[in-house]
Amino acid sequence: MKKNDYIEILLSILAALFIGGIVIFIMGFNPLAAYGELFKGAFQGNFGFGSTLAKFTPLLLTALAFHISTTVSVFNVGVEGSLYLGAMAAAWVGFGLTGVPAVIHVPLCLIAGAAAGGLWALIPAALKVYYNVNEICTTILLNYVAIDITSYMVNFPLSSKSGSPQTPSISDSASLTEFMLPSKANTGLFIAIALFVVLYWMLYHTTMGYRLRSTGANPAFSEYVGINPKREMMAGMFISGALGGIAGAIEVMGVYGCFLDNFSNGIANNGMLVALISRGDIRIIPVMAFFLAILQSGALGMQRYTSLDDSIISAIIALFILFATMQGLFKLKTTFGGPKKHTGLKTGSEK
Amino acid sequence: MNDNTIIEMSGINKQFPLVKAIDDGKFDLRAGEIHSLIGENGAGKSTMMKILYGVYAPDSGDIRVGDSHYKAMDTKKAIELGIGMVHQEFMLAEGLTVLENIILGSEPKKGSRIDFAKAREKVETYSRDYGLEIDLNKKVIDIPVGEAQRVEIIKTLYRGAKILILDEPTAVLTPQETVNLFKILNALKEDGKSVVFISHKLNEVMEISDRITVMRHGKYIDTANKEDVSIPQLAQMMVGRKVFLGAEKRSHEITDTVLSVKDIYVPSEREHSKIRGISLDIHKGEILGIAGIDGNGQKELAEAVSGLRKVERGAVVLNGKEIQNMNPQKIRMAGLSYIPEDRNVRGMNKSFSIKENLVADCFYKKPYSSRGVLNRKKIDNYAADVIKKYDIRPADTDICIANLSGGNAQKVICAREIDGDFDVLIAAQPTRGVDIGSIEVIRKILTETRDKGKAVLLISADLDEILALSDRIAVIYEGRITGVLKADEATDIKLGLLMTGEEIYEKE
Repeated sequence: MKKNDYIEILLSILAALFIGGIVIFIMGFNPLAAYGELFKGAFQGNFGFGSTLAKFTPLLLTALAFHISTTVSVFNVGVEGSLYLGAMAAAWVGFGLTGVPAVIHVPLCLIAGAAAGGLWALIPAALKVYYNVNEICTTILLNYVAIDITSYMVNFPLSSKSGSPQTPSISDSASLTEFMLPSKANTGLFIAIALFVVLYWMLYHTTMGYRLRSTGANPAFSEYVGINPKREMMAGMFISGALGGIAGAIEVMGVYGCFLDNFSNGIANNGMLVALISRGDIRIIPVMAFFLAILQSGALGMQRYTSLDDSIISAIIALFILFATMQGLFKLKTTFGGPKKHTGLKTGSEK
Repeated sequence: MNDNTIIEMSGINKQFPLVKAIDDGKFDLRAGEIHSLIGENGAGKSTMMKILYGVYAPDSGDIRVGDSHYKAMDTKKAIELGIGMVHQEFMLAEGLTVLENIILGSEPKKGSRIDFAKAREKVETYSRDYGLEIDLNKKVIDIPVGEAQRVEIIKTLYRGAKILILDEPTAVLTPQETVNLFKILNALKEDGKSVVFISHKLNEVMEISDRITVMRHGKYIDTANKEDVSIPQLAQMMVGRKVFLGAEKRSHEITDTVLSVKDIYVPSEREHSKIRGISLDIHKGEILGIAGIDGNGQKELAEAVSGLRKVERGAVVLNGKEIQNMNPQKIRMAGLSYIPEDRNVRGMNKSFSIKENLVADCFYKKPYSSRGVLNRKKIDNYAADVIKKYDIRPADTDICIANLSGGNAQKVICAREIDGDFDVLIAAQPTRGVDIGSIEVIRKILTETRDKGKAVLLISADLDEILALSDRIAVIYEGRITGVLKADEATDIKLGLLMTGEEIYEKE
């Protein structure tokens, strides 16, 4: 990523805040005061900052999940489905297993979540790799399937029988430690950050990372130098789904304490947007995830103090994404469309 | 100043994002002359002519056409002024007939309908007058390249061109077709039309031109009458130093067979390129050239041997081991290296750096990695060595390969493929579209590889290259080998006949 790109991202943030400010002004409020409340809401006190961190964790993980799938040039819109199934698997291991120490129970739940999410993502991956079925189509459809499966499980076989659609609470040994009470911040944050570091290292410092990146950038070249692009695409999708599954597991183990029907409400979609506005640069993803987390948790604060509806924040987020992805989408399009064809007119022969 | 100068470009400057394409460029054209514009790839020849044709606007400079001066042209104005250009890549609608293509955009009308009869009559006069033989009723997709080029020429004439710019027109032609094209160009000249002939093939330039302008690195070097210059002089002007492109032929022993292709059949997307029963033996210490017009199965042959394409029938034996339909990595390990024809897609990963491209075939081996972790220091050192050894520019291991010129990118690919253990090297169109300096380096690499006792399968559409380097020459036509000649028996004429399907078997 070039320096210009960073500046462009910063500019789109400012432009979105500016236009949002005009809207706030028209609605009869002082934009500076409203933004002040927003940032207070996102940073002030245990609750404010803790909530920001709690929202940051799943955003980061799902953004990484989407990023790794685009690295192997698969467009995994199905992270949300992996997140639901991962959450369900973690909850099941969390309440089903008792009498194990936390050092074993917590990793087991995370592994269950990762496995469920990863295996789920292999379905669209296999369809794409071996049968050339468009993955955007299949992943969107499989999201409905995944959400409905968990909905069925939580209402029937794994219901807590308490009247509300949720599983029994997970045992204490499976819970992640919360901090900055009364917010929902929990140690899942550190798991997410650690996974980010591991993933970055894996992509740029290992042979596996080389294979994955090479496959995504140019499958024809990869095949020619002896890499099996099909296998790498499957691997990339498994990791993508697994990260989604872990995101779901952390929500269960750190935030809700059980699986709650329809708990996510599009976390992974926001994560996908984070990955898109980071323009394929994994180093930007934490920054963007944090920025989105600030807006989301600050919106509550702003609403409380200014009586401005928090839908204005959704509008600002949408505006920002619009600005940021104008370029971002363009870049993805070129990666997916493969190298441009030689068209005598534009490129000429003398290169 | 000559009185019948009809076009004069002077002080032309054009900056592209990464390079200064034209630096104080200059060009003039007289009525009724064939004027060659020569230079290496990247010298700015095409750019200069695209400025004249209005594809690019220059940053500064003056273009005089007749008595009018222009700051910049646009294609519409250029066509009105009688300038026509035949681009390197033909711009024809494949699904339409030849006639429809010619009149497209300026159809004669009868009421609201196209007057095809009138169009046909007009087009046929061009065919007759200049010897431009074409079949008006065929669809463009069904005609050979040489004919498509004639269609392009008629298309520009039909739009009233008095000045024809041809961008590397002979690159796609057989020797016989080139002779035919030159007849056409001379007929056009006699009719008072002017032709700009862009090329880097010096013998052709000497044959056809009246005057020759040389460009180098975007700069104007000189304009000379053909009678006043020789090929070595032109080469020196183009490159800026003396060059040597031939190969020292050595009388070396041709001994053991390393690779043999036994009656293979290979599918292809295109009918002409399907391989139908090719058998070849390649020995240690020889360069076997595969000559042929593009699209007659060369790519399919190379891909079949390297495991990138399925072999339906027959066998490929490398070092006594059958390798057909094995995966590319295993074939590489069995001793094959491959410089692919499609440099920009197969040959390199355009979003990767030079060093990442260099280790693409060995990153998983020691010492470049161990237990799955890349050893970045070893990779850096290795890349720095290679860059120095092959004079790759810019000399920066971390720069993205997309920023390299064609020649330097090709050097990266060659370096990767000839480094390490192998017995057979397939080099497909290794010097296509690269500058003379790089051609020199790449050809040296090929002959050195042979001298080390390895076998080289050289696939090239450039006959001069085949003749300069090969010990034996096989000619491919529509997926079959039409003949195998020893280098000293081969001539342009013989090869040209074989390339168009005339079978004159002269096997050893």
